[in-house]
Amino acid sequence: MREASFDASGAAVGPITLDVHSGEGVARVFGGSREATIAAMLAAGIVKATGGSVLIDQYDPRVQSAHCKRIAAFVPHAPLPLPDEAEFERYIAYRAALWDVDSMRAIAQAKLLLERLDGVHEAFAYPLAGALVAAPQLVVLDRPQPAYARQIVAAIGPRAIVSTHLSAAAAEAFSDAERSRAPA
Amino acid sequence: MTQRAFFAIVGARLRGESRSLAYACAAAAVVGFVQPHGLAGPIFFCSLLGIVIALIQSPGRFAHLDLCEQSAPLYGRELARAKALVPCIVATLATAAYCVAAEAAGLRDLATTFVAAFAAVIPVTLTALSATIRTGTWQLLYVAMACAVSAIAFALVVVAGSVPAELGFAALVSFFALRQYGEALARYDPV
Repeated sequence: MREASFDASGAAVGPITLDVHSGEGVARVFGGSREATIAAMLAAGIVKATGGSVLIDQYDPRVQSAHCKRIAAFVPHAPLPLPDEAEFERYIAYRAALWDVDSMRAIAQAKLLLERLDGVHEAFAYPLAGALVAAPQLVVLDRPQPAYARQIVAAIGPRAIVSTHLSAAAAEAFSDAERSRAPA
Repeated sequence: MTQRAFFAIVGARLRGESRSLAYACAAAAVVGFVQPHGLAGPIFFCSLLGIVIALIQSPGRFAHLDLCEQSAPLYGRELARAKALVPCIVATLATAAYCVAAEAAGLRDLATTFVAAFAAVIPVTLTALSATIRTGTWQLLYVAMACAVSAIAFALVVVAGSVPAELGFAALVSFFALRQYGEALARYDPV
């Protein structure tokens, strides 16, 4: 992101400049939850920058949105409570269909990931497991729970991570976790 | 978009709307039973249901589905087709429930009633869908346009007495309404 900004729908964010490569992590602090979410969506190519530029790999979300969304995965802040395992499998199969990956394999991988996310509340683990279904190169976390920083970063593995936060302490928790993960 | 993605979106959203579907069919059946004769009842009531069902598709109702679809590698027009099918299915089933109940209460011409109501309900629902991603005056304008489409369809089939004219009008309006919804979704920023 180079001087990327968003100014529409009564919301203004930026300019933001950040550069992240495979195996690296960037944690940014924002003044409000709306700004943090918009910044995360900008980084994931979900909303288009109104100023500056965003490149995901070599693709511009303004003209190659679908390519960008194959590379970047977005993990929302809101937890996703699912009542039982069948509903979780249905959720993963739904995501697998959207990204056109094999459902059975995606479900098996997601269950393995849930085991690796031991200790993370399921409602926070499900969206992460769903986001990793399509094997993204970049994972964008919108205000993730700092208490789960180590488990989340370990589960994401050697992919690039961009996370948005509302406090320096939360950002620091993710920075610490990223420093301790294995290099790509 | 693959067929898998298309049916996954339709299936997930229909599951989410199962309660709305039941309420819409029940309401249509009750009104159909009470008002079995004439075309005003099925066209205007089922159109109203179509508008309501379309409006409740507004972003935020199924926030996690919205986010999944917005972050998936899909194009606006493709997503629009899948999302538009859901309220159309609900509205069609409600129309069918109306006609079946009306027949039980003494309706003679089930096929014509269903075709006339169906041809009004689909373009009305698709026109109202564009209101879901707009606010203020523009939203009201699309709802008003949906009501106008219903009135024109009624005029064509009852005043002009031409079901083919109504079907032609419905096809034309549905095409442009779906196209407009797709264009708007492609430009839509979910913030």
